[in-house]
Amino acid sequence: MRHVLAALAATVSVSAWAADIEAGRQRAEACVTCHGTEGITADPAIPSLAGQKERYLQWQLVFFRNGRRQSEIMGPLAATLSDEELRNLGAYFASLPRANPPAGAPDPVLHERGRQAAARHRCASCHLDDYGGSQAAPAVAHQTRTYTEKALRDYRGNARPSVGVAAMNEVAAGLSDEEIVALALYLENPG
Amino acid sequence: MKKASFPRRASAVAVAAALALGAGPALAQLKSYDSSKPSFWQNPPPDWFLGDETEEMKGLAPPVGPATPTPLAELQENLKRIKLPPGFKIEVWAHGIPEARQMAWGDNGTLFVGSFGATNVYAVTERDGKRSVATILKGLNMPTGVAFRNGALYVVAIDKILRYDEAERQLENMPKPVVVYDDLPPYVAHGWKYLVMDKEGAMYFNVGVPFNIGIPPTSTAHIRRVHPNGMAELVALGVRNSVGGDIDPRTGQFWFTENARDWLSNDLPSDKLNRIGRVGEHFGYPYCHQGDLPDPKFAMGQKCESFTPPVLNLGAHVAPLGMKFYTGDMFPAEYKNSILIAEHGSWNRREYQGGRIKRVTADPDGKNAKQEIFAEGWITGKQDYAGRPADILQAKDGSILVADDWAGAIYRISYAK
Repeated sequence: MRHVLAALAATVSVSAWAADIEAGRQRAEACVTCHGTEGITADPAIPSLAGQKERYLQWQLVFFRNGRRQSEIMGPLAATLSDEELRNLGAYFASLPRANPPAGAPDPVLHERGRQAAARHRCASCHLDDYGGSQAAPAVAHQTRTYTEKALRDYRGNARPSVGVAAMNEVAAGLSDEEIVALALYLENPG
Repeated sequence: MKKASFPRRASAVAVAAALALGAGPALAQLKSYDSSKPSFWQNPPPDWFLGDETEEMKGLAPPVGPATPTPLAELQENLKRIKLPPGFKIEVWAHGIPEARQMAWGDNGTLFVGSFGATNVYAVTERDGKRSVATILKGLNMPTGVAFRNGALYVVAIDKILRYDEAERQLENMPKPVVVYDDLPPYVAHGWKYLVMDKEGAMYFNVGVPFNIGIPPTSTAHIRRVHPNGMAELVALGVRNSVGGDIDPRTGQFWFTENARDWLSNDLPSDKLNRIGRVGEHFGYPYCHQGDLPDPKFAMGQKCESFTPPVLNLGAHVAPLGMKFYTGDMFPAEYKNSILIAEHGSWNRREYQGGRIKRVTADPDGKNAKQEIFAEGWITGKQDYAGRPADILQAKDGSILVADDWAGAIYRISYAK
């Protein structure tokens, strides 16, 4: 019972001060050209944002805004965001349903290799067993493999910063090219 | 030495076995480190703060705070849940201060605030009754500690103590700093520091160990006192990482908080409050924790009785940071010379604790120490915070300010009958 009450209290406190999803939806009009009308992209090089973790999205926008994550497109867009707009955008995309995994069976050998690499590098410690993410650790399941590969390479080369300590830069530093390819394929549909 | 049951990198055999058992995506590998050799801290692993995992503590990592400072309305709502003794009141004093850490008053009423990873030093000023926050320094290497003396702002950033003269007159365009002390190791791991100045201008600060547990490399694991002429001494030895201290107004002795090692268990060992009764005392690290617990790997035959025991054990993973002896007249008389301690709260514990302010009373010699919770309510779930107290500073009127580096805010706690 205490557990239930605590959970209820937590829900109430969060919803009472959740950012403004509707304001976020309106501000997101600048985003949908690339990230898709429902936050699901058509271009595999661009990440889907639907159902992504709110805190992760907000940190990425902060990194784009202060230049720690470089992008010719996202940099100027994020530069115009206030703290409030940035919070609302995070809340809006987090509120959308996540993309489904792509249809068709992946290469089973590569998929298994990716599964083992994910276990070896302990991805689930932060991204959870279903790779759905938690707090500032993003959902990585069902993301396009093209994007995941690029993200892992960028982390490995310190082209984008980790959130927090002992996170992605450090983990990715030990990844081989083969592991990156296998991980990206596996995470697209971890099953 | 007993080998951990699971190596850091699972062998092919272990993986195959786990696969055969149909393990899910997360295999039950536990991390373990050999931190007994210099190679460990000479080239620290990126996850240096990790230690040998136990099954009960597997996968714990420091939580990442909000990307932006918490908005005022949400802060005010959070403060409604903070429990205080009768007659006390908490309010938002300033907000929009990312990763606010140690605070110091300028002579003319400017509040200087250091920060953690945000690289900034802030100034909070009041003009015509309106309070505003400005970032006055940027790009410093973890400038957590600040102090003020004779018109100058002192900032400690890992391995340098910087002095900015006439700081309050030049907030909009801070002068080039003078490096007043830099005979310090470069480790960033536990290398962030506070600064406490005594009446003569001597500076006390911590030099933490660049890991969780191990044999400390030279020039670490102590409290150092640097005199105004630049001469320095080690006033406390065997200290893992202290993140706050203050001078006892009754005796002039230095008291400090100490964060104990991680990865032993959820409930051991306890973090500590210490007192330096004699210059050069040894407080036990890495051999002995909490005054009575020999380290399972690093006790090396040493007995706990050989070391100075803590004044008080504050609890496991409560993470005591800034502390202050209360010397004001606003709070009830029994608060005089009480110690108020900002507990930052856990990360290396399945269920967080701390994230609150403690009140400790003790005799000048450290005897008869008692603790009670003074302010609590910032922990919002098993592993989440609405705020994390990081430092405490007394204001002229006897109220106290509390820096919160999670919410990026400063609160004021006052008392009225």
